[in-house]
Amino acid sequence: MKRFRGSSSRRQKNAFAPFVPGAKPFHLTIFLIAFSLVSCGRRSAGPVEIVYWTGWSSNEFNSQQGLIDEFNRTHPNIHVRLLSQFGNSGYQKVRIAFAGDSTPDIMSTVWADELASYAQRGVLTPLDAYLKASGRDFDKEFVPSLRKSLRVDGQVYGLAVTTNSHFIIYNRDIFEQSHVNENQVLRSPDALFAASRACTKAAADGSLIRYGFRPEQLVTWALVFGGKWYDPAKGVITANDPHNVAALRWMTSFNKIVDPMKSRSFQASFGSDYSASGPFFVGKVAMRETGEWAGKFLHRYAPNLRYGFFALPAPQDGRPGAFYGNGSVFVIPKACRHKEEAWEFLNWITSEKPVEKFCETIGNVPALVAAGQAPAFQKSPLFQFAVALSQGENAVGPPGIAIWPTYSREIARTEESVIYGGKDAQNALDELQRRMETEFRETKEDLSR
Amino acid sequence: MEARNLRNGLLFAAPWIVGLVVFYAYPILASLYYSFCSYDGIRPPRWTGLQNYHRMFFEDDLFFKALYNTLYMVVFGVPLSLLCGLGVALLLNQKVRGISLYRTIFYLPSITPVVANSILWLWLLNPDIGLVNVVLHHLGIAKPPAWIADPLWSKPALLLMGLWGVGGGMVIYLAALQNVPVALYEAASLDGAGILQKLRNVTLPMITPVILFNVITGLIGSFQYFTEAYVMTNGGPEDSTTFYALDLFNRAFQDFHMGYASAMAWVLFLIVLLCTILVFKSSLRWVYYGGENR
Repeated sequence: MKRFRGSSSRRQKNAFAPFVPGAKPFHLTIFLIAFSLVSCGRRSAGPVEIVYWTGWSSNEFNSQQGLIDEFNRTHPNIHVRLLSQFGNSGYQKVRIAFAGDSTPDIMSTVWADELASYAQRGVLTPLDAYLKASGRDFDKEFVPSLRKSLRVDGQVYGLAVTTNSHFIIYNRDIFEQSHVNENQVLRSPDALFAASRACTKAAADGSLIRYGFRPEQLVTWALVFGGKWYDPAKGVITANDPHNVAALRWMTSFNKIVDPMKSRSFQASFGSDYSASGPFFVGKVAMRETGEWAGKFLHRYAPNLRYGFFALPAPQDGRPGAFYGNGSVFVIPKACRHKEEAWEFLNWITSEKPVEKFCETIGNVPALVAAGQAPAFQKSPLFQFAVALSQGENAVGPPGIAIWPTYSREIARTEESVIYGGKDAQNALDELQRRMETEFRETKEDLSR
Repeated sequence: MEARNLRNGLLFAAPWIVGLVVFYAYPILASLYYSFCSYDGIRPPRWTGLQNYHRMFFEDDLFFKALYNTLYMVVFGVPLSLLCGLGVALLLNQKVRGISLYRTIFYLPSITPVVANSILWLWLLNPDIGLVNVVLHHLGIAKPPAWIADPLWSKPALLLMGLWGVGGGMVIYLAALQNVPVALYEAASLDGAGILQKLRNVTLPMITPVILFNVITGLIGSFQYFTEAYVMTNGGPEDSTTFYALDLFNRAFQDFHMGYASAMAWVLFLIVLLCTILVFKSSLRWVYYGGENR
């Protein structure tokens, strides 16, 4: 230290000197590091704080915050801190948090279709013991699709507050103008095809003014046709199940009504389904696949539109009203620091009243059977219908295999290659079967290490 | 004294050294190791040797499709943006009234965020109601391209969109053009050279170092083409805009194949390195540095 007390020119060499007279940089650095470590380690008395990550945003986030405020008021021993992890980057952060074992205490930023991927990699806490200790009856309380999809290898790894529904809405005026009998359309896929043809309208130069209907999402239509993507009993991939092939062929048959390129260009001009320029609201389509949220947006953007709705029509050996459901799942990471407190919060937020309140605010179907029967969800015929669909046995969730995020993306690519790329449905699904069998086998081997 | 100076120097440089080691050197070396492993990003990696590389070159069709799409952007995108950037810079190097305003106008698009640009171009290139096709209709083209809705036109659409950002390169060319000594032009004029001859024999040789710089940065940027495709097309239609970086990202963050994605990253690095070396080698023939005798 003495060395730096010499001439003023020498003193200037010590950059810390102006702030801490006589301090050596090395000593000061050590002091700062030690101070930071001591500060980090200090625990304040009072409620245990748990960190909760959510992917919900705007009014959904506000509704979550309102519930959390209520929880914090009524549970003085716990303080929940809500953090938004909205958007794709938020969901990527989840993966990185798991990789680094630096997770929050609880999160709803896991999609149902990723649940098995995380559960089988051992980063989630199984909830069966907690459910039992709290007197919860998982199989009675939750809708059938969630009972299956929230279980991985026989154990419950997540709980949900919302679920969804999937059906078709149609424009009554267009049906009348096109002489379509609405009672006929819902009977079979062939009737739906005929109605689509009748409602499609082109201008004199051949450009499309409106199309009747175009099925989307092979992952769902395969289920409607009686197909499956995975056989849990045999533990095998079933991408080329004959029903899946039939569904894809039927979807491709809509190219006979409208040329696929023309249809694609036309679809590119569609506004968002959640905006005033949504294709159904402005009459660009006569029928549209949608969910329970449609009621809210119809009321907001097209209050005078006369509409009806029906479940996805199935062939004779199919599953009427079937659909593939996905959604946000609450999980407690294995690496979290306050498991008991996280469970106390999860147990509360997935109980009937908070679920009812949240779903009513955001216009989603409740994950709990009992909450679905509340007057709030039985007021409008559309919502009543959506609740009934979501509680039906044909509502199907992800198959509970670790490769499902890849598999479902590959299904969408296969669908596109057949409908727009002209590939043969059988060949394309055979190829998918081969690729996914390899992926499944290798992932299983990796996970069994 | 020397030792103390060294220690203090290292201490002051420590933030940079720590940053380099922790955030660059370690991830680079770790990714090299992971590229030889089966690694999902969560569980510990398992050594599998060359399996990822074998799969990439012999079993993965999408890899080659993504590589083809990326090479398309490099082969067509780099020369196109070079020509347009240089062309605009030559025009904006004239002494006309309000030139600063023109320069600002042409430069502005290159500083707007890529995501905002992408959303804007989604509307401009809309096949049915987009401004581009409305103009083409008025010009008498009855069936204009469907742009990003058509696998044949999706990449040209992105190239067209890329021209919106030539302002960045233009500014560099402009700076180079203004450094060309006026005496050379005067000498050329005395020798009877016309505008094109001056451009070919004076301007272009004098700015070749800057052209080389723009070619290399453009090449690297094109190999890493990602954001526009991620925002506008997400790889579609029919994988026509699944570029290498987008495919790599999907493998790492959607498919839990971090090991495979690391292998892809190293292959991309080697491709970029090879191309850069080739460009540098070729530059010995066409790049002129002041003071050289040729």
